[in-house]
Amino acid sequence: MDIASRGSLRTRIEGLVILLVSLGYLWETFNIPDFYQLPDTPGPKTFPELLGIVFAAMGLWLLVSPRDLMARLRARSAPAAGTAPAAPAAADDHAAPTGGLFARLGLDWHFVALWAVVLGYLWFMPDVGFPVATFVLLVLFTMLLGEMRWHVVLGLSLAVTAVVFFGFKYGLNVRLPWGVLEPLVN
Amino acid sequence: MFEHLLNGFAVALLPLNLLIALAGCLVGTLIGVLPGLGPTATLAMLIPLVFSMPPATALILLTSVYYGSMYGGSTTSILVNIPGESASVITTIDGHKMAMQGRAGPALAIAAIGSFIAGTFSVLMLTFVGAPIARYALLFGPAEFFALMVFGLCTVASLTGTNVTKSIISTCLGLMIATVGIDLVSGAARFTFGNPFLQDGVDFVVVAIGMFALTEVVITAREVHAGTRAQIVKAGRVWISWSEFVYSLPAILRGTVFGFVIGMLPGAGATLSTFIAYNLEKRVCKNPERLGTGDIRGVANPESANNAASGASLVPLLTLGLPGGGATAVMLGALMMLDITPGPLMFEKHGAIVWTLIASMYVGNTLLLLLNWPLVNVFARVMRIPAKYLMPTVLVISTIGVWSLSYSAVDLVLTGAAGLLGYYMRVHKYPVEPLILGLILGGRLEQAYRQALIISKGSNMIFFEKPIALVLLICAVLFLFLPTLLKKSQQFRAVQESASAG
Repeated sequence: MDIASRGSLRTRIEGLVILLVSLGYLWETFNIPDFYQLPDTPGPKTFPELLGIVFAAMGLWLLVSPRDLMARLRARSAPAAGTAPAAPAAADDHAAPTGGLFARLGLDWHFVALWAVVLGYLWFMPDVGFPVATFVLLVLFTMLLGEMRWHVVLGLSLAVTAVVFFGFKYGLNVRLPWGVLEPLVN
Repeated sequence: MFEHLLNGFAVALLPLNLLIALAGCLVGTLIGVLPGLGPTATLAMLIPLVFSMPPATALILLTSVYYGSMYGGSTTSILVNIPGESASVITTIDGHKMAMQGRAGPALAIAAIGSFIAGTFSVLMLTFVGAPIARYALLFGPAEFFALMVFGLCTVASLTGTNVTKSIISTCLGLMIATVGIDLVSGAARFTFGNPFLQDGVDFVVVAIGMFALTEVVITAREVHAGTRAQIVKAGRVWISWSEFVYSLPAILRGTVFGFVIGMLPGAGATLSTFIAYNLEKRVCKNPERLGTGDIRGVANPESANNAASGASLVPLLTLGLPGGGATAVMLGALMMLDITPGPLMFEKHGAIVWTLIASMYVGNTLLLLLNWPLVNVFARVMRIPAKYLMPTVLVISTIGVWSLSYSAVDLVLTGAAGLLGYYMRVHKYPVEPLILGLILGGRLEQAYRQALIISKGSNMIFFEKPIALVLLICAVLFLFLPTLLKKSQQFRAVQESASAG
């Protein structure tokens, strides 16, 4: 599969996802009970219906966009004609990395690890507590960014956690949770 | 008017407000000089802090941070070749070349002077034109306001991305997220899926921090990992000669006037104004061939246009309730959270606050000049803090910003989801600003739409029968096709691509 075709496939998948989301949105809109609707006045369904239709139309456009088809045709015809590859013309929106499935999706272990650390922090922070979760996040994130000296990583993470936690909790009265450290504090 | 302005100065010069303005300018500049973190992310991160403040003080903080981060953005453009935001893209052309030639000092100095002149001019203009525009806008009914907001959304959609379809998708998504929660008119729960936390709707701060701050942290982390972070040039002595100043003055004045006029347009005013001002400068100045090779006028002109446009973008924000871009959209959201809805009645209902804000902008501009000139090298040192230490801290502070809104774990999950979506959108060139603007304006847009339909007894023809509404809707459609016309200009394309990348 050439670059333009892969980019085009992604655009079509985006179009399909947008279309499905808009259909789900419209489905939910139609399920709003009718008793909220007063006679002769625009009710809670009116505006979402309009939005859902425009969003669906845009998704459909991406799915069958002629601009995309033109890019594909150009990409196919250019090598056949023996001219320079058409990739630059299509590169704007259609560039896609080469390699295995993971790489083709623009993913690698570093990328996945970064997001896992960020999302894990957001998910677990309220339960684990701010100090422990933040310390772990800082250690992992700093190491992912290439700092491997343990004394720097641990010292910096501990210092930043302490300054931010006490600064915001007691300086600005933000209710940051102690979490698993709660028994120690009490 | 002058009496109001003097009252504004009396409040703005109160010791607490002066201190807040000073702190705002410092914090704004410090965060603004961090490559990647522009005014929008900076404002989004600071919004939770302003809740506990009186409205006037909160506004002073927000505007001084906004101005400060704009100044900071030009510093990164010149020294690192990374524009703080899309409006500083043009500055990199001559600014970074000057820095590479060892003339970073004059470039930074003229950026500060040009910004000061342009900033002061735009505040002066806001003083004189703000109230008359607001009085005129009082004639607007719901149909006109609906058309006006559609116009604003279309201009932002057409000027912030490289592909109009993607911009419309982004805008629609923002408007759709805005419909989540209890419908205030009928009481119907919409798109809450039975989750009580969603009944109040999705807070724009949650989405803005996810899409701007979180994605910026991950994108920077990727650049650090890939080793593609840019080199930083040392500034040296920040000073310009009298002859250099005289040589740059016409460029500053032209940039200021063009920047202000174009900046009043709702949409990507600042970006477009720098592009048009720079192109016009090339046509009217002496020795235009020098521009682009490290000419000081190439810094003076876009920096003046940029700052004049930043001030000008507050005109539609305060008088019509229409933000000009990401940063002013976040400011609008903050104002609404403080129970101040900008619009034609703003000067009547919250006159004291508006005049305090205008007075504080005069003060802020002066403070920035006094601060930036001697301290630019100190600010430049902030850029040298390795991203591997800085980015995790930005992530932690952003998380506190979201958590402090309502201490809800759902908000944190939504921030993560917004971050993932924002990352995908930025990588695949879906502009993020229209989504945020749609989310902020969604509620008011729906309200105006429904009010107009109630007046017309359900007929959509009301939008075509009212002349002002019709003209605005026609302009909105024309604006959607504007990028197609402007695509012939290579420079505009470059600006647009930088805007979508940034």
